[in-house]
Amino acid sequence: MKLRSSKRALVAAVAVAGLATTGLLSPVHAATRSTVVVHETNAFTSLNTGTPDTNLTTNTDITYLTGAGFNYYDDKKALIANTTFGSYKVTKNKSNDFQTTWTVAPGRVWSDGTPITADDLMLGIVLNSSKYSIKAGLGDPNDEKNPPAFNSISYGGTFDNHVIGLPVMSADHQSVTLKFDAPLPNWDLYGPGVSPVHTIVALANGKTSLLSAADAKAAKAAFTKAVTSYDTATLKKYAKVWNEAYNITKIDSSTNPNILVGNGGFLVTSAVTDQSVTLKPNPKYNSGPKLSGGIDTVVFRFIADGTAASQALSNGEIDLYQGQATADAVAQLKAMKGVTTVGGTSSCYEHIDLRTAAVQGSKDVYSGVFAASSAAGKDLRTAFLLAYPREEIVTKIVQPVNSNAVVPNSTFVMPNQSNYGYISGANGSSFYTAGTQAQRTAKALAIVKKYYPTASSSNPVVPVKLEVPSPNARRAAEAALVVPALAKAGFKVDAAATTGWSGKLDNTEWDAEFYAWCPSAVLQTGTNDNFLASGGNNHMGWNFPALDSALRKLESVKSDAVVDQYTAAAEHIVNDNALTLAIFQHPAVTSYNSTLKNVKPAPLSPTLVWNYWEWTY
Amino acid sequence: MRRLGILLVILFGSSFILFNLAAISGDPLEGLRTSSEPSAKQQIITLTRELHLNVPPPARYFIWLRGILGLFVGKIDFGNARNGQAVSGLVQHAIPVTIRLVTMATVVAIVLGITIGIVTALRQYSRFDYAMTFVSFLLYSLPVFWVAVLLKQFLAIRFNTFLANPTVPLGWIIAYSSLSGIFWAGVISGNRKRVFQLFGIVAVGTGVLLEILSATKWFADPGLGPVVLFAAGVGAAFGVTQVSVGLNNKPALKASLTMAVLGLITYYPTQFAFKHSPHLTTILGLLAITLALGAGVGRFFAKVDQGPIIRTAMLTGFVISLITLLDKLMQTWAPYMATDAINGRPVPTIGQANSLLDQSDFWMSTLDTLMHLVLPTIALTLISFAGYVRFTRGTLLEVLNADYIRTARAKGLTERTVIMRHAFRNTLIPLTTIIVVDFAGIIGGAIITESVFGWVGMGTLFRQAISSFDLNLLMAVFFITASLSVLANLLADLLYSALDPRIRVGAGK
Repeated sequence: MKLRSSKRALVAAVAVAGLATTGLLSPVHAATRSTVVVHETNAFTSLNTGTPDTNLTTNTDITYLTGAGFNYYDDKKALIANTTFGSYKVTKNKSNDFQTTWTVAPGRVWSDGTPITADDLMLGIVLNSSKYSIKAGLGDPNDEKNPPAFNSISYGGTFDNHVIGLPVMSADHQSVTLKFDAPLPNWDLYGPGVSPVHTIVALANGKTSLLSAADAKAAKAAFTKAVTSYDTATLKKYAKVWNEAYNITKIDSSTNPNILVGNGGFLVTSAVTDQSVTLKPNPKYNSGPKLSGGIDTVVFRFIADGTAASQALSNGEIDLYQGQATADAVAQLKAMKGVTTVGGTSSCYEHIDLRTAAVQGSKDVYSGVFAASSAAGKDLRTAFLLAYPREEIVTKIVQPVNSNAVVPNSTFVMPNQSNYGYISGANGSSFYTAGTQAQRTAKALAIVKKYYPTASSSNPVVPVKLEVPSPNARRAAEAALVVPALAKAGFKVDAAATTGWSGKLDNTEWDAEFYAWCPSAVLQTGTNDNFLASGGNNHMGWNFPALDSALRKLESVKSDAVVDQYTAAAEHIVNDNALTLAIFQHPAVTSYNSTLKNVKPAPLSPTLVWNYWEWTY
Repeated sequence: MRRLGILLVILFGSSFILFNLAAISGDPLEGLRTSSEPSAKQQIITLTRELHLNVPPPARYFIWLRGILGLFVGKIDFGNARNGQAVSGLVQHAIPVTIRLVTMATVVAIVLGITIGIVTALRQYSRFDYAMTFVSFLLYSLPVFWVAVLLKQFLAIRFNTFLANPTVPLGWIIAYSSLSGIFWAGVISGNRKRVFQLFGIVAVGTGVLLEILSATKWFADPGLGPVVLFAAGVGAAFGVTQVSVGLNNKPALKASLTMAVLGLITYYPTQFAFKHSPHLTTILGLLAITLALGAGVGRFFAKVDQGPIIRTAMLTGFVISLITLLDKLMQTWAPYMATDAINGRPVPTIGQANSLLDQSDFWMSTLDTLMHLVLPTIALTLISFAGYVRFTRGTLLEVLNADYIRTARAKGLTERTVIMRHAFRNTLIPLTTIIVVDFAGIIGGAIITESVFGWVGMGTLFRQAISSFDLNLLMAVFFITASLSVLANLLADLLYSALDPRIRVGAGK
């Protein structure tokens, strides 16, 4: 027991430690906060979001703060023109000659003081047009063997398919005119893009400090000359810079300042690999809405684990969190002190689709209960959709996460959009909402009995095979509600949990499928690919000439009111044929430090940060 | 040589098998194939080209292997990850992070585990032994992500809130005091009367101490000051001497106590050095001076048998240095809390450092780094120290039953000498093997702990690689981890033979 005395000495020592300690300190007073720490799931990898490797949410959110353009999406999915930065309009609207002109307001400057001019709008053509890439000897984006010098993600879209020649610069060097071979619906989304081209030239020339005003002007001219003269060698040098120079995860005072030049409200000042990116206000910012002035630092913090992020929010380590939309997580977030949690929607919407045939071009034959070729097909589809328990799914599965959730009555537009009221009223969806679910189910059973006289609510006989995406807890719960609800209308639903489901959507084995579409922009032709007989996302073999021609009308440039009419008309045909119904919008949950004001989560990218200029404490 | 050859075969054979299994287990382009984005096709083309996805896996292995074999010409190439970043760059970032996270936890777990293991073995079948066995198995069976969530809730979120008004409620004081009373009474043990006495002393002592700390709001501005430092130094002198050579060795005790006095005398000069030369080199320099002083003092007091006395004095000096350092960090606490970046909530739940904090102040950034280490270290230690406790206890008990221990006791050696010199040293031999292998495991990372605490180390890379079918990344993590564990096994074998003369490498051929 020799140990005893030393332990005693230790205990005594510790006790003395306490006695000897004096010194009082007044409680720590928190100063007014001026920092917003934004949570992101993935780490920052690049300041250039235009390549396939770097087109990631974190990168796009950060560069949204460092760069302003001609327009942006708000929280109602409306495209708002950034009139502080510039203006744009259609200058010619003919069936084979469509032109749009984009003008930068005079006096706009980059963060290094260089004026923003039409030269800064010239990079877009190089990044978007396959024809330009081929003509300039920079490679063919569609050829695996001959990759494009600019590793751009933007080749192959609407812009690429219709653009002709080079953008034409105005004499005052403030605007460019883009030419297309056909009218472009949603032409305002296909702008020229804004990039600080003088810094690309500086980087290509190995400069490690910012250019002087005169050098910047010369660099701009050099860039425009290289683009307009299809100068392969010079453009390849710029391509190398564009592909590589911006891929950086650690930023400090030794970082080349040329890659940090922007025209947004904030600029990146430092970054710690895999941890965070810090931004400070851009003192020369005049390219967008005025900053509230209440925020002097924005930090993006990367936390992959949802629980860790919500605890960090609770501990005051982050101020703004978006993620994990499960009922448990939401309950936990709502219980936190000093944290405001709002339910919202993401851009994704869940929908139930019914098969009418095999997909176009497939050798398979679909002869299930819903086949368009059979007389009963349309009636049974109608009955199926009538009996589909959309309200129950929303109440039981979605509302615990987002208490404001409603059943969307359109797949073309969603409830938070301004034209939703008109379209959902005129698209024939009222047929599927009239009465209570019990009445609709009774109606559905009556229809089913015409073809299956033995069917009853206790004797489901109509065989329907439903693909249930798996593994996914929420979808398993949906399926568990769907099977008994449809049994009441006489449908015997075989809900088959399917892994690798997305690759099996075309399978004629499925009579019905439910999953989600996640549009990244609001386009008047946005759903055409889903419904046209030849559409790439038409997995159910829908082939209705009347629908196709109604959808084709949306491919022209018309006023919003006319577009809404066309949309409602097209969706009316969809509803008349009982092809699909929207079930719910995917919930998104946003939680933030309650003292932070003006947080308005939006469904479309850049979801949380779209109105960063309004944030304040 | 033959062993090295076998190791290489194991390494490359297993990497070939793993590569092919991983390659056929999933399609890295799955997400893109079902994407409705117009750029999906473009991305598929790019990725196929970059990752050689058009080459069948067995052949692709050799493309990968060619990069790895660059090892021998100094140009190792792990290829690119899916997001275009070079894998070698990612790994370079990840390894230090992982080492920082896991080393600390492993060291703490080993020290704590061995200590408690020894105590439980010496108090075999006592209430304390049963209690520790229960606790260590309980911790061993807890999932780390759950432990982490609880730690964050109580030690970070609640503790930070507590710091805003650092007064400990009476109920908590009573609870803590009783708990520490039970613990120490259990450790020290004795007859019933003695146990109750011990419990009383410790519980009242702790209670009074906590009440004082609470009343003075010590937690908001902690510190030791020279007086406490000296008291702690004296305590350390007694403790170290007792464990190392025994209190009967008067020269050693005198040397240790002299170190404590020296610690007090040099308090202000040390503070001055800390303040005006805040660098790691200063700390290391002071530590070196302390150790040198220890050696000198030991030599001065020792008449015969200098070695152990010098060792004791140096060890005491080391402990006192640590306490001095702790005191300095405690002094930094209040200004640290008051910074805008910390905002009065000093215990973080995520990350490696606070990016808002001005990292140019050495003491602040050191404290910040340590604070970020606290929770992950506790979490990892709690779940891993049970193994060491059980292993040490078992081995020590076995050794204590050995003939040479009986002989040692028969010779009339003190119990302390028997345990520390004869039993404990022999216990270390099998422990070495598991410790070496555990250290190799450090590089593999702590997959769950890393992600729960937002650290991007090897474990996170591994998880990322699996979830996104990122073959190059997966193989890099596997290759590095596998190489190290193969090497560690070799090292363990060699160490084993060095420590235990009864075993020779290559024997029994």
